Amino acid sequence: MAIAVTNPLDNTVERPGHRAPLILGKTTFHSITESVASIAETPPSKLWFFGFAVSSSLAGMFGLLIAYLFYQGVGVWGNRSPVFWGWPIVNFVFWVGIGHAGTLISAILFLFRQEWRTSINRAAEAMTIFAVICAATFPGIHVGRAWLAFWLAPYPSLNLWMWPQFRSPLLWDVFAVSTYGTVSLLFWYMGMIPDLATFRDRSKNKWRRMAYGILSLGWCGSSRHWMRYEKAYALLAAFAAPLVLSVHTIVSFDFAVSQVPGWHTTIFPPYFVAGAIFSGFAMVLTLMIPCRSIFKLEHLITVRHMENMCKIILATGSIVGLAYGTEFFIAWYGQVPAEQFAFINRAFGPYWWAYWIMVSCNVISPQVFWFKRMRTDPVLIFIVTIFVNIGMWFERFVIVVTSLSRDYVPSAWRYFSPTWVDWGMLVGSFGLFCTLFLLFCRFLPVINMAETKATLSHQLLHPEHFESH
Amino acid sequence: MSAANEKRIHGYTAEFSTVPSLLAACRRVRDAGYTQTDAYTPFPVHGIDEALGIRPTVLPWIALAGGLTGTITAFTMEIWMNGINYPYIISGKPFVSLPAFVPVGFELTILLASFGAFFGMLALNKLPRFSNPLFAHPRFDAATDDKFFLFIGADDARYNEEGVRRLLADLGSEAIDPVVEDDSSDQVPRWLINIGLTVALLSVIPLLFVARMRVTTSSSPRFHVFHDMDYTPSKQTQRLTTIFADGRTMRPDVPGTVSRAQGAYDPDFYTGIDMAALALLDPDRAERLVRFGMQPPQEEAPPAEPAPAAAAEPPSEPPAAEPPAAETPATETAATETPAAEAAAQPAVPPAPVDNTPWLKKNPLTLDEATLRRGQAQFNIYCAVCHGQDGGGNGLVNVRAQQNVVDNKWVPPSNISEPTFAAAVYPDGKLFATISQGKGKMAGYAAQMKPEDRWAVVAYVRAIQLSRNAAEGDVPAAELEKLQAAP
Repeated sequence: MAIAVTNPLDNTVERPGHRAPLILGKTTFHSITESVASIAETPPSKLWFFGFAVSSSLAGMFGLLIAYLFYQGVGVWGNRSPVFWGWPIVNFVFWVGIGHAGTLISAILFLFRQEWRTSINRAAEAMTIFAVICAATFPGIHVGRAWLAFWLAPYPSLNLWMWPQFRSPLLWDVFAVSTYGTVSLLFWYMGMIPDLATFRDRSKNKWRRMAYGILSLGWCGSSRHWMRYEKAYALLAAFAAPLVLSVHTIVSFDFAVSQVPGWHTTIFPPYFVAGAIFSGFAMVLTLMIPCRSIFKLEHLITVRHMENMCKIILATGSIVGLAYGTEFFIAWYGQVPAEQFAFINRAFGPYWWAYWIMVSCNVISPQVFWFKRMRTDPVLIFIVTIFVNIGMWFERFVIVVTSLSRDYVPSAWRYFSPTWVDWGMLVGSFGLFCTLFLLFCRFLPVINMAETKATLSHQLLHPEHFESH
Repeated sequence: MSAANEKRIHGYTAEFSTVPSLLAACRRVRDAGYTQTDAYTPFPVHGIDEALGIRPTVLPWIALAGGLTGTITAFTMEIWMNGINYPYIISGKPFVSLPAFVPVGFELTILLASFGAFFGMLALNKLPRFSNPLFAHPRFDAATDDKFFLFIGADDARYNEEGVRRLLADLGSEAIDPVVEDDSSDQVPRWLINIGLTVALLSVIPLLFVARMRVTTSSSPRFHVFHDMDYTPSKQTQRLTTIFADGRTMRPDVPGTVSRAQGAYDPDFYTGIDMAALALLDPDRAERLVRFGMQPPQEEAPPAEPAPAAAAEPPSEPPAAEPPAAETPATETAATETPAAEAAAQPAVPPAPVDNTPWLKKNPLTLDEATLRRGQAQFNIYCAVCHGQDGGGNGLVNVRAQQNVVDNKWVPPSNISEPTFAAAVYPDGKLFATISQGKGKMAGYAAQMKPEDRWAVVAYVRAIQLSRNAAEGDVPAAELEKLQAAP
């Protein structure tokens, strides 16, 4: 008995023993090439120009604010005693967390042999690179004398006559985020080499062909090359998987290794990693849903892809909710008065509004994905993912600011308020992110054509395993 | 023959549109014994390695080597930098903190392993390779789009142009083409190399500037972009300032502030001197005592003949005007001495200065058993080491000094029961001052003992003096019985 499928582009329903196809419509290898390459080959639309104008203005504002910060000093932020870590570190952890989804899609789903990753991994990896760039900006500029930031590196200095402190989580961060950015860049670039060769071979313009030719390193599709390429890809995936877990663990150590009540808990590493995957997938969907409509890629980035991502959001969101509950349990069970106060203060103290935004956006809103209607409608998914991103920003805000504004000594308590520079830099970092992503869409292949063709080939070679659509 | 035949042929390609046809063709070519073969596909095809006889790669070993290098480098760096070269000496914690060193070690391992995988792959593939005769092939652009090419190279041992062409025709491919050497140069363009060299040379120039700065000195100050706190309006003490209207950096007390002990501060208690009397006698000294603490006690004048004459001098010339006491008496003595010297006609010994400080004669503490017990305890802690528990001057320090003294350069501690220290000539206040400020080799104990404790020690010293100079008849009868009854 066939299941009535009203929409030929709906691959979310499967009969037992038959997998739903991942690539829909009458797609051929050439049509995949056409769909993806035409985005970079046709002149950009007015919508692209409008988006680029807005986001590059915000990115420019970000640059000007950074210059103002260097000139005036870190007093332009709201960081005051006792909240010495304010929005800059909140933004840093927010962006680094978002970046983790791209590596998870590329590396961890590859290791789990999830073929549906092939049409989203390129854009997700690009999102990772741009998110890491936005993230790395904040620790770089917050050091007070940013022009001396190179002192963090272990180089033999005749001025300092000393080395960095390798036991400090802040230095672990330097190594972790640098490694993560480098390895993600290598992984993203290596994945793009065959597709850049495709762009090269399709170029009509001599300079375009030269540019893509240099970037593609002379790739010709040789199977002997593919063999080593696939091996390198698998190795990088195997390295990137523990890297993802370790980087956000090390970021969580910035807090967990301290003595501040509400921070000093061993649940932070898994809680942060789950939260990072949660927010990252939400950001991937936030970017992917407009892209697939605007660039007409609904047959490659199908509803099933989005549904799978919503399921992951549901799972990690539930883990985050469970972690919130576990923190309360630990505070009660441990009977440490300062920690118990810290959690009651979060929910009912001066920042109660931030706490309840966080809980409703992180714990309650992803639960709608239990319902199939909610997780297969792109518009509804988009709205929920916006809420998830807001909630995850507020989670970092609640962790950092509530614990610092009221810790052990009541005479040191003070309410923290951000300044206009804090606001401007948050908005500006989104501008930088969107500018880079729009440039990526304009010039680089947004979908991994080679892997998608391999998925299509698998689908064509084994039609008995797939639903006939 | 046509011009095309003069160019070298690298091999022949056969074009296919589907994966199964390509794989079948590959197996046939492999079984026919050709080894210099390859397939060109837009995506990696499952089963092609086995179909063409491609052997596995050593790339994983390169990645492993990279990873091990990363681990060793990281831990060596951390252990040497933080444990050996500049150890962090923090309350007994180990210099080599292996658990804390793990995160950086882990990250560097992953980084270098990834470099090994990526750059190793490029090296083994001999990429980048921008010049390739395949790029001149008429339909080869489709190799990155949707067509699959099988290639047999001319350098194969079994290569024979006719044989290869027939074999490929037999495989059912759509097109068979030779891969011909093309006209374009296979060298990097000259202009690109020139630009690269120029940039490399120019980038050395800033390094030369830096190197020169390293080895020379300069008389001009460092260049600062952001002056930050280089120029501050805060001033050093006793300098002028523009911040305040009166130009003074050092500010008087804010009106209305109250000092910590005000009201409860009794200067007599803290100095051992009747301050009201001293204020009349020597107001400068009184003021200095109140402001800056105690002054060393003055030497008591021996009963020399000029002394009465000097003592008859009006108090306008106080003998203890300035510290240190050593200098002043000489000058004062000279000043007071002159008119009296002629009268005395005793030239021999210049008299010691007269001390007419109004010392407190009565101990301000209540002299009960508790005070004396406290005094005894404090005396035994601080004083008995030199003066002995009986106050006789033969404490442990003296015992040891007598063993080690050279050339009689050791003045033994005083016997506090001597007549010199009797209350009549050495009032309680003066005793307090000596305990607080020290005398000769004896250090002052003002920093170690609270004033209450020092007065208690004064009371105990008096008790010792009484006990050393008492007769049997001074002991109360009840106490005498107890002492005689004790074993």
